[in-house]
Amino acid sequence: MKDKKSVSGELGFSDLDSHHQALVEKILRKKRGGDYSRRDALKLMMATGVTAATASNLFVTGGQAMAQTPKKGGSVRFASSLHGPDDQLDPPKFTSTIDYTRGRATYNSLVQHANDLTPQPELAESFEPNADATEWTFKLRKDVTWHDGSPFTADDVVYSMSRHQGEDSTSVIKSVMASVDEWKKVGPHEVKAILNTPNADLAVLLGMFQNKVVKDGTTGDGIGTGPYTMESFEPGVKSVHKRNENYWRDGSNLDAIEITGITDPVARVNAVIAGDMDLVSLIEPKAFRQVEAAGNVTLLSAPAALQVGICILLNTAPGNNPDFVKGMQFIQDRERIVNKLLKGKGTIGNDTPISVAHGTDFCSELPQREFDPDKAKFHFKKAGISTAELFVAPVAPGIEDVSLLAQANAAKIGFDLKIKKVPTDGYWGAVWMKEPMNAVTWNMRPTANSQMAIQFAPGAEWNDTYWNNDRMGELLSLSLAETDSDKRHAMYCEMQTLIHEGSGMVIPAFSNINDAVANNIMGIPKVPLGQIGGCEWPEFIWLA
Amino acid sequence: MMAQMVLRRLGIGFIMLIVVSIIVFIGTSILPGDVAQIILGQSATPETLAALRAQLGTDQPLYIQYLSWLGNMMTGDLGISKAGGATIASLIGGRLGNTMMMAGIVSAIAIPLSVALGLWAAMHPGTWLDRIITFCTLSLISVPEFFIATILVLVLAVELHWLPSTAYLSGDETFWQLMKSLAMPLITLVIVVSAQMIRMTRAGILNVMSSPYIEMAILKGVPRRRIILRHAFFNAIGPIVNVIALNLAYLVSGVVIVETIFAYPGLAKLMIDGVQTRDLPLVQACAMIFSGTYVALILVADVASILSNPRLRQPK
Repeated sequence: MKDKKSVSGELGFSDLDSHHQALVEKILRKKRGGDYSRRDALKLMMATGVTAATASNLFVTGGQAMAQTPKKGGSVRFASSLHGPDDQLDPPKFTSTIDYTRGRATYNSLVQHANDLTPQPELAESFEPNADATEWTFKLRKDVTWHDGSPFTADDVVYSMSRHQGEDSTSVIKSVMASVDEWKKVGPHEVKAILNTPNADLAVLLGMFQNKVVKDGTTGDGIGTGPYTMESFEPGVKSVHKRNENYWRDGSNLDAIEITGITDPVARVNAVIAGDMDLVSLIEPKAFRQVEAAGNVTLLSAPAALQVGICILLNTAPGNNPDFVKGMQFIQDRERIVNKLLKGKGTIGNDTPISVAHGTDFCSELPQREFDPDKAKFHFKKAGISTAELFVAPVAPGIEDVSLLAQANAAKIGFDLKIKKVPTDGYWGAVWMKEPMNAVTWNMRPTANSQMAIQFAPGAEWNDTYWNNDRMGELLSLSLAETDSDKRHAMYCEMQTLIHEGSGMVIPAFSNINDAVANNIMGIPKVPLGQIGGCEWPEFIWLA
Repeated sequence: MMAQMVLRRLGIGFIMLIVVSIIVFIGTSILPGDVAQIILGQSATPETLAALRAQLGTDQPLYIQYLSWLGNMMTGDLGISKAGGATIASLIGGRLGNTMMMAGIVSAIAIPLSVALGLWAAMHPGTWLDRIITFCTLSLISVPEFFIATILVLVLAVELHWLPSTAYLSGDETFWQLMKSLAMPLITLVIVVSAQMIRMTRAGILNVMSSPYIEMAILKGVPRRRIILRHAFFNAIGPIVNVIALNLAYLVSGVVIVETIFAYPGLAKLMIDGVQTRDLPLVQACAMIFSGTYVALILVADVASILSNPRLRQPK
């Protein structure tokens, strides 16, 4: 240690005592990918009395130390925000964070998402489309075995993937996977997907939670190829997972993982602060301060395309009047929503479902729609409408407050926005797509195309504002076959502009995904598709 | 005479269970959305809904679903959870044990404690001690249990780190660890149920104390302590036992808030989850257990009060 210091002339991370190491780590972890700022350096200088140059060196060496090889051993407890007797081990039926997380611990997919959502090989060691993206070939790994010892083959893949198709399928992602006509076994370790429409994004879709591969003929009995074996599973109580000693790649650093649920948000925050839980998902904005003030936990906040949205049905009054929709869009005080209601943990929305989290397909060129009461007043007046009713259930973070803010701002321009609060229970069947104006959210999809197709393709099952635009439909399929990145971006921009101008969606903001984890947990991925790094953490985390 | 009464009450209890099951069945069915819609949630399409309903058998008319449930129930088959696919027996098994353990420990602490405190207060009415007990019980009756629970967590778990904040059971803990994990919900529930039982014990005894035969005993110079323990207590036992029975039934079926706050896997939470997913067989099974508990406990309470009061044995 001593001579290292004299060589570099600077204090390095390894020279610090454990308390100061923890401090550096905390600052680095808070940034999660971003660079440390001057304020962080100042904070560290104040705490340790080092110079600015040393502070910067500490961050660099600290970052290196943190990127070190993961340690093996230890166990963690994770509490999700929702669980019950309907907890699932059968991937096509996965609907909640706790299912996704158990799925990630137990099974593998053909393809997995990197932090930037590009598809990476998992059970498929290579995957390639043909020239017009109507046929995909997947070469499978040969060294993979199931938890019961039997070898993994193409039959397992064909069986698992075909479960999203056909009349009897009750798969949650049946419509997302509808572009595949048939899964075909080519060899013992090679399969082909035959498509009915070109889809250059198929590999990305295969990383979705529900696309985990199960053993041929099984319906999710907990036998997987994944990093942890299922020790016990009680729906609505907990599950215990032990390290898979025969895992086919490096991973599964922990000895054991226990997964449970704490539905009460206050109890969940208390549990992680008190150290009873190591990871908890979904922290509400009003608890941010409590989590940040606690020294032993880190608040993870990842930008995501989690809509805080309002659907206005265009096929019925008042939404059938385009000026009414414009009025509702202009009355949203977007900056205030992000800064005050979401406490800064969110991004401003532009009435399209695509956010910066979608990467290059996000259209930053599209002018931002601002809060403009005068324009709202003008449009409401032109529409000749002075009152409307909005159905709200707490389906998205802050959505109730967003409605109340809109109500207050509408009152100032003489518009009477009535808020009807309804329970989440039964909301998707009884209110959504039925009441003329209702709160909505959508899980972030891995591709901008699937995100828009699900909600805005003409005649789509879940076209929840009943907006049917032929050009939109045309672009959705054209863009999937487009391989030139500039042309592709132009198409995505045109689609976002169409939605921004014509659909009945009001999306004033996107919420970040907010979770809390104990400070000694390292290696959390940053996939923005779900809680705690897209529920990808079981394979990657380790304890410092 | 006694046996006849018990048999008759059991018969009525059985009919009541059937009526409750019909009411619960209808009640759960008229909620918006069915189990298929809840499972698929936002991702439901008419096609997948129809396929799932056919798989679950929920596309059949309600009365057929009810009769087939009743038939299975009579043969001891609780059925399969529509929402998750696990057997109801396996879902309920462990949780019933948890609920009974919690209810058992709470009543073992709370019943002697409250009867003793109630008696004590009744022996010294109007004294400072009585006033303190009355003040505390009245305040605690008025405070909702989630408030007590949250305050306890903040103080004992988050600030002082003495006790865990959740009643998480890993299944392999020692007795001491088990007690530690259960401590917080136990304290909350003891506080909640004791307050009512103390009030009732005190009021019941003071009520009897104003009757002529107690006056007679006082005039004859019997010491107050002896009057209460020998004469008043046994005559007041009827209402006290009934309050205890109701509180016990509450401990089995009504502690959903405490279960939620401490993430304790008990039966009450299971029933709420069942209602939220419109899981009819699960809701029915829980409802039967809860109603059965009420019927049994109230029967026991009635028998106890008859035994303690010979006058009730004679039909008027």
